[in-house]
Amino acid sequence: MNEAISVSAQPASGTKPAKRRKAKYRHDNLMGYLFISPWLVAFLAFTLLPIAASLFLAFTNYDVLNPNWKWVGLQNFERMFTRDPRYIKSLQATFYYAFIAIPLRLIFALGVAMLLNTHRRGVSGYRAAYYAPSIIGGSVAVAVMWREIFGTDGLINAILGTQVAWLGNPTTAIWTLIILAVWQFGSPMLIFLAGLKQIPREFYEAASIDGANGGRQFWHITLPLLTPIIFFNLVMQLISGFMVFTQAFIITGGAPLDTTLFYALYLYQRAFVSLQMGYASAMAWVLLAIIAIMTAVVFRSSSYWVFYGSQEE
Amino acid sequence: MRSRLSVFAMLLLVAVLVLSACAPAAAPGAAPAAEGESTEAAAPAADSGEKIELRVAWWGSQDRHDRTIAAIEQFEALHPNIDVVYEFAGWADYWTLMTTQAAGGNLPDVMQQDYARLEEWVSRGLLSPLDDFAADGTLNFANVSESALAGGRLDGVLYAVNLGTNSMMVVIDADKLAEAGMETPSPEWTFAEFEQFATELHDKLGILGISSDLSNEQLWKNTYLSLGEWVYNEDGSALGYEDDQPFIDYLNMVKRMQDAGVAETREQILAQAGGSVETNLIVTEQAAATYFWSNQIVAMSNAAGEGRNFILVPMPRPDGGASANYLKPSQFFSLTSQAKHPQEAAMFIDFITNDIEANKVLMAERGVPISSEVRAALEPLLNTPQRLMFDYIASIESTASPIPPADVAGHANFINNVYWPLALDPFLFGQQSVEDAMRILREEGNIVLAEAVGQ
Repeated sequence: MNEAISVSAQPASGTKPAKRRKAKYRHDNLMGYLFISPWLVAFLAFTLLPIAASLFLAFTNYDVLNPNWKWVGLQNFERMFTRDPRYIKSLQATFYYAFIAIPLRLIFALGVAMLLNTHRRGVSGYRAAYYAPSIIGGSVAVAVMWREIFGTDGLINAILGTQVAWLGNPTTAIWTLIILAVWQFGSPMLIFLAGLKQIPREFYEAASIDGANGGRQFWHITLPLLTPIIFFNLVMQLISGFMVFTQAFIITGGAPLDTTLFYALYLYQRAFVSLQMGYASAMAWVLLAIIAIMTAVVFRSSSYWVFYGSQEE
Repeated sequence: MRSRLSVFAMLLLVAVLVLSACAPAAAPGAAPAAEGESTEAAAPAADSGEKIELRVAWWGSQDRHDRTIAAIEQFEALHPNIDVVYEFAGWADYWTLMTTQAAGGNLPDVMQQDYARLEEWVSRGLLSPLDDFAADGTLNFANVSESALAGGRLDGVLYAVNLGTNSMMVVIDADKLAEAGMETPSPEWTFAEFEQFATELHDKLGILGISSDLSNEQLWKNTYLSLGEWVYNEDGSALGYEDDQPFIDYLNMVKRMQDAGVAETREQILAQAGGSVETNLIVTEQAAATYFWSNQIVAMSNAAGEGRNFILVPMPRPDGGASANYLKPSQFFSLTSQAKHPQEAAMFIDFITNDIEANKVLMAERGVPISSEVRAALEPLLNTPQRLMFDYIASIESTASPIPPADVAGHANFINNVYWPLALDPFLFGQQSVEDAMRILREEGNIVLAEAVGQ
């Protein structure tokens, strides 16, 4: 808008019709901003402002109730990496979860997508059925159900006839969360399905005429042509994987021995249980950096393994 | 001209939209600004018959919610000009909710408080003194003993009114005890006798000798209380005891009992995430005994159903120690400093404390009532578990240790970030020795505690 004003303010710049056009342009712009202003106001007030506030708080020891909080510089960040053993444990738990659950979920999603990539009767029903866990998967209700399933008196123990404390054992607890994550394979599955449908049938026909079996077709046609989709799914899942919260919050609460103390859960505990908002804000910004780095690594690596149809080999 | 008009019309439209969207959100934010005049503003409202809104909040179980709401309805019937708006939640969510409201300057008028948090909330200026209301009779303590009020006083100023008296206890399933052919333990039993008792129950019956988490910080506190010390020092900047040995001995005992299948392991406890009084293994007869706060016997008995018999015994103590029990205000009602109607809030607290009909609904669910008149009125109405609770509190009244100081500012942080994750869990899961656990508890704990008091 400033630009438009400064341009039109220049004397005798251009002819009269041009000037009118600029005025109209300016007018249209203004109308545009007015139309989106409710959103803009909300964005500024409820998104940008809190983000800025959290950046500021990351350098303070603000704890909600105490009015005497002060600027502490980099102390929060220093403490995280040098004096907080639980923070290191939360990083371990988060990376362990992300590096196991995400690949498993993607493999599972791809497998099911390939099974559903047929024209049999009722396949759309299956599609909806397999997608359902993803819609409800992040919900509290499913987490509560999961806790019951893996509880000491739960379904799994009833089937196995055992009394294993799945959620209390430091080895098994995180796997209950990984299994839950894998079960919610619906949205990457749908994206894979869309990708599979785009692969021209002629490729497969040509390959089978050349005598390639199913496995070879998968390795040499399906997988290479699907790499952009895999790439997209990987990035999206990576981001959400590092922010996992609800499941651990409800099912295990971070226990046992902090083996399921995911980053977001620990952040929540510091912020809303211990009320160390400053420290929690610092943690949030480090999480942003971690996700940015992980995403950047995936992006950088993509030139080695992602194949776009148009590019020359 | 036309275009300018349309821009103006647009602006107007947007302004209306934005303002109308903001209006309800702005109201709570405006509350703190009006705080200063609230007292004056409230009084005429009460007289003029104009309806005022009194906000009350508490935590608890469903049973408590139902009872409290019923009592609130009685209060509203008595005071048609007061509309009580209530909020309730479970323990953890309640504190998140209250903290958020405190930061936003819109705390309710009356909030339930806990002995563990009282000092912190008072030190931050979030609660108002109640002495003036007690002096002018709005709060009537004619039938309340000073010892019942003491827990709500800080430096002689009354900030919170006790809603019921509580103490910890070991609950023994009387039928299981008879089945094992064993005697009720002495009220002055030691940890050694406790271990022997639970082990014998387990050996004879093949079920858990005792359920619940024996490594809970309450037992850490009990141990040092019984020895005449306290877990925190006076200003809350460090641990208050020098000798780790009593708790080392205790934890070694707990580990022995867990390894022998006498007590629930930490693993089993964690696997019942969100476990409550109602799901305790004594309810399902998978354990012969457990320990609780005395008011919880009511909810536990309800869950256990008819035909069960329980015996209540005081908590065991270290060898040579005094009583490991103290009489604790189970919870309080407090007037917040952000209250808009302090006068009506005090009336409400008085109503809950003294009104017989209300207490017949509340039925000592929050612990034994502090008013002797209310206690007398409830006496004939008590059911078995309630009578057990009343009798138990009466039985330990003379021998209980004096109430320890309220929890220090760094308490919650200490428990959540040191006690469990760094000290006890690694020991109970066999990853570090009990000596290391206690060393870490002291070293790391002192850092966290000192930070909380700004040192």
